[in-house]
Amino acid sequence: MAIRYYLIVLLGFYACLANAETTQSSYPKVTFGGFGTLGVNHSTMYYGDYTLDSTIPKGSAFSDNWSTTNDTRIAGHVAANFNPKVSGVLQVVAEYNAEGTYQPEIEWANVKYAFSPDAYIRIGRIAVPTFMQSDNRDVGYTYVWVHPPIEVYRQLAITHSDGVDAMYRFEVGESMNTVKAILYGENTLERETSKSDSKDMWGIFDTTEYGATTMHFSYQERLSATINSAGVTGPWIRNSDLSLGIQYDPGNWFVISEWLQRKTTTKISAMYVSGGYRINKFTPYMTYAQNSPGSFLPGFPPPSQGTITRTNRAQSAVSLGVRWDFMKNTDFKFEYDQVKLSDSSNGFLANIPTGVILYGAKFHVISAVVDFVF
Amino acid sequence: MKPQEIIRCLSTFLLLLAVSAFTANASAEVVVIVSAKSPVTSLTAEQTAKIFLGKTSEFPDDSDAVPIDQPVGSEIRNEFYTKVVHKNTSQLSAYWAKIIFTGDGRPPDILDGDAAVRRAVAKNPNAIGYIDKTSVNRTVRVILAP
Repeated sequence: MAIRYYLIVLLGFYACLANAETTQSSYPKVTFGGFGTLGVNHSTMYYGDYTLDSTIPKGSAFSDNWSTTNDTRIAGHVAANFNPKVSGVLQVVAEYNAEGTYQPEIEWANVKYAFSPDAYIRIGRIAVPTFMQSDNRDVGYTYVWVHPPIEVYRQLAITHSDGVDAMYRFEVGESMNTVKAILYGENTLERETSKSDSKDMWGIFDTTEYGATTMHFSYQERLSATINSAGVTGPWIRNSDLSLGIQYDPGNWFVISEWLQRKTTTKISAMYVSGGYRINKFTPYMTYAQNSPGSFLPGFPPPSQGTITRTNRAQSAVSLGVRWDFMKNTDFKFEYDQVKLSDSSNGFLANIPTGVILYGAKFHVISAVVDFVF
Repeated sequence: MKPQEIIRCLSTFLLLLAVSAFTANASAEVVVIVSAKSPVTSLTAEQTAKIFLGKTSEFPDDSDAVPIDQPVGSEIRNEFYTKVVHKNTSQLSAYWAKIIFTGDGRPPDILDGDAAVRRAVAKNPNAIGYIDKTSVNRTVRVILAP
């Protein structure tokens, strides 16, 4: 399915390049760039792997004492402006994936038509702006944390969709409003032993900036189905995700909080609140994050005990960290997390041996990363 | 080392120190300029910051705004971003990394030095730049002196 979007994107690029010679001499403008992170972490919980999202097959400390799988990645980015209205973006990211390799994958490939600097439509592979740091979650250099709080950001493993979106930006008095809409999208998410297909995706995403305050609203729906290792497709289930975020950043300090309510066959909510203070090149920060157990929604067959156990991933975490901007376009970060699993929950730990129950356990994680952009 | 040499050495050092202290004081006068041909007469720091951060592409009167930056690491640039935009160098480069890698825009074009910025701004009624107060002449208009 996704192939046809690449074809459209490639045709778009070709048409624009062919056209470029007849337009102004300064076009096409092509820029190359990239970003990356070298990261390592260690967890004191030896009965499971602390992984950032469900596509990462292993982490610390069950599989490896020290692990680089969570945060390490490198990416290349090409942007081309063919004329003032038409541009394209290609972003390729290499990070530890479901196959257990660092095989590069296309994160974004889209062509944009700008009606004005304040309105556009895009087609191709596009970021899904669920959260305030969704578009840039792979670019560690753009935020203060080692990675966005996993209790919230992990709930939505889908980072891009293949389809069409549109943006409109307008001012209301002193505030700036950016509305994005996914008009149609689909996605395939590879996991170690299964796949998850999504289709009929749509969503509305609004960001309002007023002085030092930024507010974010998002609502999206899609149908998803799991394809197991034998290739059998499960039932299509409606997903709806509502999220709200607020950030206040007057310059020397910041606070940010986001909340998510996710409905599939269950209803889950998750939130975090984080704050930090900038002292020259150092930004110490603190975060509290939690996610609730899933409550089963009416209208679906009653869940088995196994399903109930698998669905309950409730945990909370307190994180203390510091970002150090030690040289141009490069930072170093260190973070300590204390993670507490809820009663009847193994949390987000992966690869727990059969029969091992970690309900209510508390453990510690330390992470260090170097982020860079070029 | 003879005593006279030590004294000469010390006095040279003190003189250098005095000169550098003087230049440091004198160089802290960034002003925001448009062409003398532009209808824009004044902007607030917030309006200027929005233009240089790419959050708007227009002046408040709806005419196109084309910002011109100075080189990364230059004193005048640090002065401008600290006083007008309230972002330090690393905050600013993190901000642009987010914009660039989400495909949402590009940072302003850069010209090296007050004279080059002034010439480009003077020629283009849509341009907006910042230079040291002492570099201002009749071809440009100061619209903000933070």
